[in-house]
Amino acid sequence: MNAPHALQVLRKPLPADFVMQLQNRFGDRFSIAQAVREHHGKDESAYPAMLPDAVVFALTTQEVVAVVTLCNQFQVPLIPYGAGSSLEGHLLAIEGGVSLDVSGMNQIISLDAEDQTVTVQPGLTRKQLNEQIRDSGLFFPIDPGADASLGGMASTRASGTNAVRYGTMRENVVSLTVVTAQGKVIRTSRRARKSSAGYDLTRLFVGSEGTLGVITEVTVKLYPQPEAVSAAVCNFQTVNDAVQCVISAIQMGVPLARVELMDKAAVHASNKYSKLTLQETPLLLFEFHGSESSVKEQAELVQELARENGGMDFEWADRTEDRNRLWTARHNAYFAGLQLRPGCRSNTTDVCVPISRLAECVNATTSELEKASFPSTIVGHVGDGNFHVLMLLDPNNPAEWDESERINHNIVRRAIEMDGTCTGEHGVGLHKMQFLDQEHGEDALSLMRMIKTSFDPNNILNPGKIISLDLAG
Amino acid sequence: MNTIVGTGVKSVSDYTASDVVKALLQVLPEHCVLSRLEDTRPYECDGLSLYRSLPMAVVLPETEKQVQDVLIACRRLGVPVVARGAGTGLSGGAMPHAQGVLLGLAKFNKIKHIDRDAAIAIVEPGVRNLAVSEAAAPFGLYYAPDPSSQIACTIGGNVAENSGGVHCLKYGLTVHNVLKVRMITIDGEIVELGSMAPDSPGPDLLSVFIGSEGMLGVVTEVTLKLTPKPALARVIMASFDDVEKASSAVAEIIAAGIIPAGLEMMDQQATQMVEPFVKAGYDTSAAAILLCESDGTVEEVADEIARMEEVFQRVGATRLQVSESETQRLLFWAGRKNAFPAAGRVSPDYYCMDGTIPRRNLGRVLNAIAEMEKRFNLRCANVFHAGDGNLHPLILFDSNSADEVQRAEDFGAAILELCVEVGGTITGEHGVGMEKINQMCVQFSRDELDSFLRVKRAFDPATLLNPEKVVPTLARCAEYGKMHVHGGALPFADLPRF
Repeated sequence: MNAPHALQVLRKPLPADFVMQLQNRFGDRFSIAQAVREHHGKDESAYPAMLPDAVVFALTTQEVVAVVTLCNQFQVPLIPYGAGSSLEGHLLAIEGGVSLDVSGMNQIISLDAEDQTVTVQPGLTRKQLNEQIRDSGLFFPIDPGADASLGGMASTRASGTNAVRYGTMRENVVSLTVVTAQGKVIRTSRRARKSSAGYDLTRLFVGSEGTLGVITEVTVKLYPQPEAVSAAVCNFQTVNDAVQCVISAIQMGVPLARVELMDKAAVHASNKYSKLTLQETPLLLFEFHGSESSVKEQAELVQELARENGGMDFEWADRTEDRNRLWTARHNAYFAGLQLRPGCRSNTTDVCVPISRLAECVNATTSELEKASFPSTIVGHVGDGNFHVLMLLDPNNPAEWDESERINHNIVRRAIEMDGTCTGEHGVGLHKMQFLDQEHGEDALSLMRMIKTSFDPNNILNPGKIISLDLAG
Repeated sequence: MNTIVGTGVKSVSDYTASDVVKALLQVLPEHCVLSRLEDTRPYECDGLSLYRSLPMAVVLPETEKQVQDVLIACRRLGVPVVARGAGTGLSGGAMPHAQGVLLGLAKFNKIKHIDRDAAIAIVEPGVRNLAVSEAAAPFGLYYAPDPSSQIACTIGGNVAENSGGVHCLKYGLTVHNVLKVRMITIDGEIVELGSMAPDSPGPDLLSVFIGSEGMLGVVTEVTLKLTPKPALARVIMASFDDVEKASSAVAEIIAAGIIPAGLEMMDQQATQMVEPFVKAGYDTSAAAILLCESDGTVEEVADEIARMEEVFQRVGATRLQVSESETQRLLFWAGRKNAFPAAGRVSPDYYCMDGTIPRRNLGRVLNAIAEMEKRFNLRCANVFHAGDGNLHPLILFDSNSADEVQRAEDFGAAILELCVEVGGTITGEHGVGMEKINQMCVQFSRDELDSFLRVKRAFDPATLLNPEKVVPTLARCAEYGKMHVHGGALPFADLPRF
């Protein structure tokens, strides 16, 4: 079952010897204070907090090795913690144990401007990274909205508004340094741009949500800051028209840097929250990157396609500050949505379908939501076929939760039937575990389970997430 | 202790060739099982003909059910299985196991479905790479990865090796262009990895599977991502009087924020070898040439070509020539893609390496290779995917001379170890197979190799799929360490010597 019900799992107290050893090694950076544990026992999901028994603040790979080794020796659960901005219950300590906070590991280790890569510690956030490398003329494009840590983004295979152009963490992580459950330090790959030596461990760890190892260094690709950037808003009569416009643009091979859909309710919410004056109809936010002439050409082509699909004239945001206001509003769409219904909590979906099925999927979802007893908004990274529904619920009305879960199930079932997925970017965590069987099939899940037991035989790393090891579960 | 030691196949087999053939005939029609020497001989090696071995039997199944039955039969008997596509691999990945079965997928050659709107193709593993693009052409689409062997190599083989090609700088490797793989495990379970959506939840087993060189499962169906054909593509041939300058031109292009559709380098030895054969119009007087392609809309290409020319001039190109027609563009690429056959014309044998390095070390490594030519007294032509930093030195030698063979192997090993030393990898796209298994000990630590074995154990605990390749056992590394002391440090110094 979904939030907000707490899970009933057996928790064992931490062994005294284990606590003593951590205390001796980490001093102040080992904490069992209630406030610290509370802070580490929740994320941005709707789940109630589930607290770890202790929190350790690590500063080096060697310290991570020490914690993992002890946890493995005493069979204590361990959950890596970055910025705490995940959405699906990834960080909740359902079996207690230690939350390993790496937010203090926030340095750039090396910037290789010529090779366009940077190696950072896992606690560095994407905004910190971009601020610190600004002078190099390069930038890190992946942008999940929240100011997430690079380690967390790698763990959840995050993406964001410009994945349509730059890909997700799957395409952009070059190499990882990982501490295995056995306390061994491995580097998954070298810095060369491609390699066919051995299995692709990098992509095995990217998206493994802390269940296979603890990431202590991340090497990612960087991109030259584009010569020209322009952004535009285009209003449409219906969500369907907007989606059709995006499909045409993708099929024509226009290299859109960003294309975001907001439905009428989401636009209304953003106008109120971010003090904008957008016309309140479904709309697309576009961004184009490239040389002056190619940006112009792309924009003209897309404007043409928009007109063919009933879109109105582009409203341009050429100045950097206008553009930033627009994208900040888009990034705040989550919080803006929550303000539509004061005191509410949200149940969020993250389905992703092949672009050719997107219009069909969004339409079916919209008509279902129209009948719901609570308000909702839709925003989407439509260039990837990925969209989010925010269902705004009264936390004191369990009937609304149940209704939203029914709708959530329908949305996911529909997406999977259209050859899509239950989660395009938020990861599985706790919330999506229920859908993995339907999506992957039992044989594929059993392979995942074998990978998990092969890497972490004692099941200490973020236990109870992604896949259930209990076959009956 | 958590270290895993590769179990390997039973060294003294408790089955005979006739046991194996008998078991196979129970699940396959007679014409699908080859066991006579003259029938199995054509399968004794792949593109790396230095290593050869005859299998106990070759099977050529026709249905997925038959593949499944073969795997179940082999699992039951404990017989190794090596899968094979077109046999164009360059690292011995499809070389048969002497105690095993070679599983040929040549008969799985159907393109099942092309969906224009979704821009995907669903194909069987034995379909040739180029056949996909040919079938997709009427829809204005193509399959982007284009290994030079694309007229012959198969999609199943591309998946096994994570193949690239001259256009992968912009369009990615096989792993970036495959959405879904349907495969059978050694236990006979049919599993689908990946999804039609851009991302699928949970551990990314699809990426782990791609490039796994036939060690995790046998592919029976692949869903490929197709790419819209650009309106226009043009390629610049830029000449340089010095290899170092050509290398810095590569870095400058990338630094200028340009991602060319292809960026290839050939040195003078290579152009002089290719030109008489292909007549591509190469500047054979240049120390090195770059082929740099731009694709997109007409305006984009005009704009980008101008920017590329400006960079090349700044770095000191001695000559620039832009393709004036599609025919000329294809001819420029034909020269590059035929470098291997051309090498075959000028030298009795050649040995192709595949090291990949961070781009900024290109100049340094090329100079070191030139030094090695003197040290090993062998010629080496360089053609490579410069944009990716992926080198393909072609060492020319004569296999009739045992001494030359030895020098060629040593030369190759020295190049690969240099690649690792500058932060690169021993193989960018050809795979490890048999060929580079020793260098794996140089590139990866024991804990890293252990992680590979953990993956292997999850998929194939009895290590029957393509055994004794890719991931070296610790014993092998120790032995290799005895022979090649690397940078003064013995690899795995803490290991007991066997």
